[in-house]
Parts: sequence; structure tokens; C-alpha cells
Amino acid sequence: MNQPPGGRTPFRAAEETGRTPIQPFYSMRRFKMPPQIVRLVLLTLAIVGSYFVARAFLTPASFGEFGWYRGEALVELRSRTPVYAGKQACDECHSDQLQKLAKFEHKTLSCEACHGVSREHAENPDILPVKLTGSHCIRCHEANPSRPKWFKQIVVKDHYSGKCTECHVPHQPSQSP
Amino acid sequence: MKTQYSRRNVLTRLGGAIAGLLTLSTARAVKAAVQKVFVSSGAPKDYDTTKHKWLMCIDVNRCIGCGLCVEACKKENSVPEGPYFRTWIERYIIPKPEPGSGQTRGETLVDSPNGGMHGFPPSPVPKDQIEHSFFVPKLCNLCEHSPCVQVCPVGATFDAPDGAVLIDPKYCIGCGFCIQACPYGCRFLSPVTHTAEKCTLCYHRITRGLKPACAEICPTQARIFGDLKNAGPDDPIRKFYENNRVSVLKPHLGTEPRVLYAGLDKEVR
Repeated sequence: MNQPPGGRTPFRAAEETGRTPIQPFYSMRRFKMPPQIVRLVLLTLAIVGSYFVARAFLTPASFGEFGWYRGEALVELRSRTPVYAGKQACDECHSDQLQKLAKFEHKTLSCEACHGVSREHAENPDILPVKLTGSHCIRCHEANPSRPKWFKQIVVKDHYSGKCTECHVPHQPSQSP
Repeated sequence: MKTQYSRRNVLTRLGGAIAGLLTLSTARAVKAAVQKVFVSSGAPKDYDTTKHKWLMCIDVNRCIGCGLCVEACKKENSVPEGPYFRTWIERYIIPKPEPGSGQTRGETLVDSPNGGMHGFPPSPVPKDQIEHSFFVPKLCNLCEHSPCVQVCPVGATFDAPDGAVLIDPKYCIGCGFCIQACPYGCRFLSPVTHTAEKCTLCYHRITRGLKPACAEICPTQARIFGDLKNAGPDDPIRKFYENNRVSVLKPHLGTEPRVLYAGLDKEVR
């Protein structure tokens, strides 16, 4: 360190004279942090550090894959099994019926709209779909002023009291049996 | 008993605690890996979320209010019994104005008994007094800027890259903020799971190449479902755009929905 010439510091003279020693200038370089501040800094670091450790443990790996959510949720949501089989599934065995249907007014209908949920039937043909009743026709074709004008509607009690299928073929509605 | 704080004692306990933490985290990782394999086994493998943009087009002039879509949605998604719907149908009845009232039209009536699932009762307004009447199917509007996503405090609801607005049922805490934020009333708190639920566009169906249950079952093709990123010139959604002038619900909110309506009236909110 910077020793003053002569091996004596000018301050030793002050000690010898019994006066209060003045803090030497060079000891300022060995500044000691007050212990309460050290404790505060360590505590802050511990709290912030434990937050990051806890975050690393608790956040799922896929969080933030696409955005601020769990990317794995997309896989979980699409892993459910569909209930309705869909028209393609019917087409695998009943393509003849679907081709006939495509020539008539009911071409826009899905099979399961009338025949009911048929997934079990599609997987195992021995399980038959739900049996039909005339209420399926009325559900759509009963007259209602809110229904669009282009849509064929009847007032059931004025129309006929028997079965719909006596006069109409469901798959070819404009034809009589 | 006085605890002995010997060096050996403290070090042993510390070592035990660290070992326990490490085992716990390993167990968690193993559990997550097993769950991932188990869950993804049923999910379609060849689906890339970033290569699709789903949308739904609804032609109000084609809806006959049969309620088959509402029923199909309930069955497909195990929606709880009672007044809980992921999709529903509203009936609008606009009567003729009172003579000499100076109004263009009468007071609009809107109803949706049981979501329209079992059809609609006869009109409360006699047929000759109705100016306009029509059915409007409603569902999640697939907003580009979803208010529901913005308010979720836990990152449980999100815009998927393919345009579906979805809920992570494991993350949802059931606070109900999103239910209040949705301007279209498309969300509800499930009484079964106590989490928010909504239309997922039948995410398990569309990722398998099927249509959503409502679009599949609609007898008049009032609901047209499509993929904006993979729509050819003959795609039904292109035809829908060509043949109709389209609008969205509540455009003033700036949510930019991807559910497009044709034939809407100004009374429809």
C-alpha cells in the first residue's frame, strides 16, 4: 500500500498525542457492508431465488409452447372420442342409400339427424340404431311462421292423421311408396 | 426434549431434505410423462394446429329452428342437463307496428325455450301481425380478439393457433370472469365440474377431419364449417362468401368474430 515516506504515518503522531485518531484515507478502500444490509440482501436473494425454484417445479413443461397456456391442453382436448359417427362412416357400408338420397330433397340431411347417434352401430353393425317415429318428420315440417318461406311445411292436424310413411318415402320424399 | 444441533445432525437432515425434493421432482416428471403417453394415445397424431384456421358460417335464412344442433351438441359434449348450452337457437319475432304509432316496426320478442332444443311453442303473436320472424343459431363467436381470454387470470382459456377458443379444464379455477367478459353469453359455469365451459368447435371431431356435431347434424346446412387456410375455390365457405353478404354479431365491440352470419336483422344482438 501507499506507505508515507519515513515509515511513519502522520496519524501516528496524533495517536501519540492522545487525540482521537482520524480515519486513514486508504482504509476507505476496504469498505465493509453493514451486517444488517448483508442480511437484507441475502434474504431478498433467498426469496427471489425460492420463487424461481418453485416456478421451475410447478410450471408444466408445455406451458408457453404456443402462448400463455398449457400446450398439452390442446392434446388433451382432442383426445376425446367423438359421439356422432358422421356421414362418411355411414358411406362405408350404406353408399347405395346415400347415392339414392343425394338425388332427392333430403340430400342435405345427415344420416344421424333422423337415425340418431350411430357410432356404436358404425363400429359394430350388430347394434342397431334408434327406431324412428313420425315425430322426426314433424320436428322440421310442422308449420311455423318463424320458419323460412322456402321450406316445406304442413299444419299436421289439417294435413293427414295417419302415418307420414303411408304417402312419403323418407329417403325420397317426393316419391310415394 | 431439547433438539441437538450437532453438525452431523444438521447435515443429515439437510441431505435428507434435498434427496426428498429431488425424488419428488423425478416422480412428478415420470408421472407427467406417463400421463402424456396415456392421454395422447387417443388424440389424432397427424394434426398440426398451425396449419388450420377454422370458421363457422351461419345462414339465418336456412335455419328452421328444429333444435337438432342443440341436441347434438348436448350429446356430443356431455353438456349438463338444464339451462346450460354451448350452442342454442333464438327465435326473433318482430310484429307489425301499431297503426298510427309512427314506428317502423313493433317491439321485438326474443325467446329460446330450453335453448330451442325441443323446438318452439306456437308464436305468441298471431301470424298476420308478424312482420318478420326467424331463428338465429348462436355459439362461440371465435373472436380474433377474445375478451374472455384477456380476463382469464390463470391462463386457462386461450386462442389456439387454429382459431378455436378453448378452456384448459385442469387450469380453470371457476372464477367466472370469462363468463362476464363474453359479450355473446357463450360461456357457463358447469354445475358438474365447477369450471367454465363453452363451445370448443368440437375440437376432438375437427382434429379428426369430422365436422362439429351441430354442423354435421343440421338438416338444412344452415351451419357451414370450414378451414380458411385450406379452402379451395369450391369449398362451401367460399360459396357462402360468394352468395351472401355477411356480417358478424356486435361488430362495434371490435372482437372480430370468425362466426359469420348471412341474413341478419338489425335487431339481432
